[in-house]
Amino acid sequence: MSATDSPSAPPSPTPVSLAEVGQYSCGLTLVFVLASTCWVLLPYTGDLFVALVFLMAIVLAGTWWNRGPVLMMAVVSALVWNYFFIPPQFTLHIDKPQDMVMFSLFFVVALSMGHLITRLRAREATLAQHHQEREHLLELKHRAELLAESERLHRTLLDSVAHELKTPIAIIRTALDGLGQGNPYAKEIETANRRLQRIVESFLEMTRVESEALEPQPDWCEIGDVLHAATKPIQEELAAHPLLITGTTDLPLLRLDSRLLAQVLGNLLHNATRYAPAGTHIEIAASLAGSTLELRVRDHGPGLPLGAEDQLFEKFYRAPDSPAGGTGLGLAIARGLMRAMKGDIEAHTHPTGGAEFVLHLPVKTRSAA
Amino acid sequence: MTALIIDDEIQIRRLLRMALESKGYTVRDAENGQMGLQEAVFLKPDVILLDLGLPDMDGVDVLKRLREWSSVPVLILSVRDQESVKLAAFDAGADDYVSKPFSTAELLARLAAIQRRQGTHDAANLQLGPLVLDPVHHEASLNGHALKLTPTEYALLAQLVRHAGKIVTLKQLLRAVWGPQAEEQSQYLRVYANHLRKKLEGSTLEIKNEPGIGYRLEET
Repeated sequence: MSATDSPSAPPSPTPVSLAEVGQYSCGLTLVFVLASTCWVLLPYTGDLFVALVFLMAIVLAGTWWNRGPVLMMAVVSALVWNYFFIPPQFTLHIDKPQDMVMFSLFFVVALSMGHLITRLRAREATLAQHHQEREHLLELKHRAELLAESERLHRTLLDSVAHELKTPIAIIRTALDGLGQGNPYAKEIETANRRLQRIVESFLEMTRVESEALEPQPDWCEIGDVLHAATKPIQEELAAHPLLITGTTDLPLLRLDSRLLAQVLGNLLHNATRYAPAGTHIEIAASLAGSTLELRVRDHGPGLPLGAEDQLFEKFYRAPDSPAGGTGLGLAIARGLMRAMKGDIEAHTHPTGGAEFVLHLPVKTRSAA
Repeated sequence: MTALIIDDEIQIRRLLRMALESKGYTVRDAENGQMGLQEAVFLKPDVILLDLGLPDMDGVDVLKRLREWSSVPVLILSVRDQESVKLAAFDAGADDYVSKPFSTAELLARLAAIQRRQGTHDAANLQLGPLVLDPVHHEASLNGHALKLTPTEYALLAQLVRHAGKIVTLKQLLRAVWGPQAEEQSQYLRVYANHLRKKLEGSTLEIKNEPGIGYRLEET
């Protein structure tokens, strides 16, 4: 059944489906069969009975078929009734005024029956469709609500875990500030406390990355500000590694989430400080190819373990001979964050030694002049 | 000078009290939002240190209630360090935000900065270290030498100097310098902040960026 038939349009002959062609021929056959049967029975029944039989056939056809075939049946059976059954037979001419009225009535009733029934069915179909759409919408809404609720719960849980873990670290830090700088034991506690803070923050960030609660918030920024934000929290570690930064001064304004990118860079730089011997340079090179920002971070350490260039980014992966400390999360977080920003990160050992990490990030740009 | 600490962690309250008292503050504290609001009414503190994760209500709601009647400087102290949380706090009227764990020296510097702001509104000349702004003629001088600034650069610098040491959000700066319709046009700000940085180069002043939040003019 085609739901495209609008209820008020005349039966259109143009787009006829295969099913409709079948209905047209069935309709014609039905009229033919009924007419022949009635022809045989005519001496016992009279021509009015024939009209009723035709009307019934039209009503029944209307409950299964499309509008076009039903209307066709109405027209054809009216003509057949007139030609074969209304005296004088075998003409379309009608003698008696009451037969004339009967014929007109038959014609009108047959046409409106066909019309009304198909309209009813069209309406039923639309109702069913609306109902289905509503069910679908309700289900979507329900699913969205569930998702929002679980996200909210997750966030609340993450917030309270963050609170519980960070508060003692904050207390130790503030108490150490109160003790002053002179005591060498205090210095050791401070170092350990900073390490603990880093671990806690890594775990929390990893959870955020994995929960996909992470939505990048791009805004216009300068790469210099991003680098500043990346290096500031690890100033002490970087003190032993002079930074060589190239290519950043020629870059235009970039539209990206500076906090996330700074965190990726911070993790890479922190890694470099852990693996490369003190005193070696760490190089950062920035360039723009079309709308892709490329950042390279290279150290002059031992390079990457052979064949582990991809494994590195797995959670908790730790290269053999890694220095103590570290959670194996830094690079997993870096990749998670880059991918959340629709970018990516890869690693290789530089041909002349040292590990090199390459970041690609699609960005919008704007002249900074 | 009175400071009110609203935080549910007793150790944090004790440590902050010691740090603040050593700087000459009179300290009161409250362990939840309701008591904090009551203390704020009763005590009329000069500055409030507010935690966001309070047991009875969210710190941002405490701040909103407080801002209905008071413009007392408020420093947020929280373990939550996501940009969205910080921005919500600034929108609710926070003056600055320090994430826990924090350095005590930095905390004290921020406190001093948000309190200084209260006094500098009507000063004839705005001054910060070697930088002097003349609001009547829209002129600036650095180390006694005239600083050539366009009107937009001057307006931006004046905003930063007026809030020296304190973070000024992107939205606040855009609204103040370019008007309310420019609140989303952060690229203007990046460009002009850049110009100003170049002009202040070599001085003791630094325009610091806080990713996603805003700018802070500091004397180093």
